[in-house]
Amino acid sequence: MAGFILKRLLQAIFVVLAVTLIVSFAIRLSGDPAVMLAGGSNITEKDLQNIRQALGLERPFYVQYLAFLKGLLVGDFGRSFMGGTPVSLLISKALPATLLLAFASLLLSIVLSVPLGVHAAVNRGRWPDQLIRILSLVGLSFPNFWLAIMMVLFFSITLGLLPPSGMEGPESFIMPALTMGIILTATNVRLVRTSMLETLSQQYIMVARSKGLKDWVVLYKHALRNSAIPLVTYIGLQFGSLIGGIVIVERVFNWPGMGTLAFDAISARDYPVLQGSITVLALFIVLINLLVDIAYGLIDPRIRTE
Amino acid sequence: MKMSTTLKALGLAATVALAPLAAPAQAAGTMSVAIALDPGSWDPIDTFVVDWSSAANNIFDGLTARGADMKLKPGLATSWEFLDNNGRIRFKLRENVKFQNGEPFNADAVKFTFDRLLGDEGKKGPQQSNYTSIDHVEVVDANTVDFVMKQPDPVLLTKLAGYGAMIVPPKYIQEKGDDYFNTHPVGTGPYKFVSYEPKVSLTLEAFPDHWGGAPKLDKLVFRMIAEANTQIAELQAGRLDVATLIPFGLAPTVEKDPKLSLISITGPTVVALRLNTKNGITKDVNVRKALITGIDRDAIIKAVLLGHAKPIASFQADLSFGYDPNLKPLSFDLAKAKQMLQQAGVAAGAPIKIDFRGNDATFREVAQAAAGYLQALGLKASLQPYETPVLLNDIIPNGKTDEAWHNAWGGWTFDYDNTAYLMYHSGEKWNPYDKDPKLDAMLEKQRGIYDVKEREKILQEIARYVADQALEIPLYNQNTIYGVNKRVKNFDAPADRRFRFTETTVE
Repeated sequence: MAGFILKRLLQAIFVVLAVTLIVSFAIRLSGDPAVMLAGGSNITEKDLQNIRQALGLERPFYVQYLAFLKGLLVGDFGRSFMGGTPVSLLISKALPATLLLAFASLLLSIVLSVPLGVHAAVNRGRWPDQLIRILSLVGLSFPNFWLAIMMVLFFSITLGLLPPSGMEGPESFIMPALTMGIILTATNVRLVRTSMLETLSQQYIMVARSKGLKDWVVLYKHALRNSAIPLVTYIGLQFGSLIGGIVIVERVFNWPGMGTLAFDAISARDYPVLQGSITVLALFIVLINLLVDIAYGLIDPRIRTE
Repeated sequence: MKMSTTLKALGLAATVALAPLAAPAQAAGTMSVAIALDPGSWDPIDTFVVDWSSAANNIFDGLTARGADMKLKPGLATSWEFLDNNGRIRFKLRENVKFQNGEPFNADAVKFTFDRLLGDEGKKGPQQSNYTSIDHVEVVDANTVDFVMKQPDPVLLTKLAGYGAMIVPPKYIQEKGDDYFNTHPVGTGPYKFVSYEPKVSLTLEAFPDHWGGAPKLDKLVFRMIAEANTQIAELQAGRLDVATLIPFGLAPTVEKDPKLSLISITGPTVVALRLNTKNGITKDVNVRKALITGIDRDAIIKAVLLGHAKPIASFQADLSFGYDPNLKPLSFDLAKAKQMLQQAGVAAGAPIKIDFRGNDATFREVAQAAAGYLQALGLKASLQPYETPVLLNDIIPNGKTDEAWHNAWGGWTFDYDNTAYLMYHSGEKWNPYDKDPKLDAMLEKQRGIYDVKEREKILQEIARYVADQALEIPLYNQNTIYGVNKRVKNFDAPADRRFRFTETTVE
């Protein structure tokens, strides 16, 4: 297991390095942060050069990139071009906001999709199964920004129940988490259903039933555990796409997270903030994938011994 | 067992979701205002975004001030006079003024502010270039300072009313350092800093010892909300008092809401289609005039901007210094325009392409309408959207535009000089194609003149000359639009979003 983890770690470092290199290079292909900072105002080329020099932009790309890597080693992401706030400070505020929202969405989708998926599998071909499948198709077809706007109109403006934006209390999680959770649920229900169907046809389930075990013990202790492998993989992978999709949801709900941070940084050509936030996001996705691999081993002892 | 736990969790989630959790309407005495961007630093010399001013105009004062009526009035200086043949401007300072941290305001503070702005610290930011006409500031006595000028700057008094010229506290900055000041600003203005959460909000409270009298509100919260739909949702939910980002298409939503009012006033932003005078059919001045004649700007304003704009004849608002009410744009006449094109020898189906900022949804519609008119003239019109920074930093300055390009401009100084010089003087970034010695001479001449009437005359001449050369298709001056909760009283809406909430109250 130790060798396996070490190998994965080395791969992870390589991936993160590649991502930072591509991002740092690509953002520099268009736009000039000095001009963005000046806001198109009355400014001469000499002033722009002064600003570029102050921001360290007159150095060649490789020098800037190496300086960024050097900073990474000691946890220093540099300072934002917009006002000089340390990037690490911005990330330390934005990352928890995004992770909380991502976990809330994931949790919501698990809480909804596991019982629904199991129910559909048990009632295969009968009306509850059909209903759940149709609902999940409907859920999959929603564009999430549309869903978000509809929820805001209904829950915040018509009913006045929930705050339309911002991260304030537990109630402010409901709509953003639902927006992302519903689409995840739609996929996960299908996954749980298929996986359960496969497991339920196995002989050991028949054995369990014939032993006279209660229905829920058979379903949730024996069948679900064995169906969990594809589910765990998929949820792990979803976390990555979740972080990608979060940009839109964060913007609609004005969520002070990594998506907002990265989006603003791209618009303002704020290189340090963009490099820092993408690096942290890449680290996270790589880490999650690593955890998924380890989780396999925990759920299925056969993988551990391989 | 697992099933029942899940069900319980579901039940709990449902209960939580159904309880009325949204915060009630705003507390009395607290007003919340949306700004789109977080400037990142509240130091006057670090930024040039309007959103900085929307908030910081309440924290800081300049030597001069400008109210919502755009008239210049005394601020921290009570009077000023021009000495040494305009080479020196002497300001008498207001006495008994204190910064919000208790530090006294005096001539040293003014000198410190401008030394900092014009020195190494200011070099790192975008503000220094606005004030390079000042050579240095001299302290005459505790309440008098002299601005020694390097070159004349007729717009200086206006520029002292905002941005980089806002007066900052010397002792506070020297003791706490620049970084601390960025996130804990102190000025002499009517509201003092309470807290700042990056990308979330800036909170201010009343500074009762303000020289102009204590403000009426207890607390001001500026919330950073980048999405227009979200600002409007917050406004409708009663959690926001002033929304500053209202696209024309959403204006009716605010208008229809009985709790809200829509304020639509003349703003600083003007929009035109600049024409390529070097390549394509637009090389010919007669063709350019035909294009101006062929586009119905009134119809575009009515249909696309829902009436929230005014037609323009030159690239400035009617609030702008240099505006000439007698200058009228060429009026729309399709038949005449066609004839003019024919006379200029333009073949039917000649191409004309409009480059525009792709993220500007309103202008996309305007461009489509304009292309429709060009099509009606028998031209082959097409649109080319660009990412804004690419258009502004590459395509335009490097002269890579097509026949026409989207030009939007909104100087806060409301002085045609700032616009015209940058747009039309040779070698300027926004003028990639023309070298016109006559125009250059006029632009340079007015920069040396303090006489208001005389300078105004030259600026009007410039506008007339530009119209005559048909360097652009003037389109419209778009309104500044606010959505405001009706509980807000005495809100003196400024054209330029630089708020000052001294007299404003909420119910």
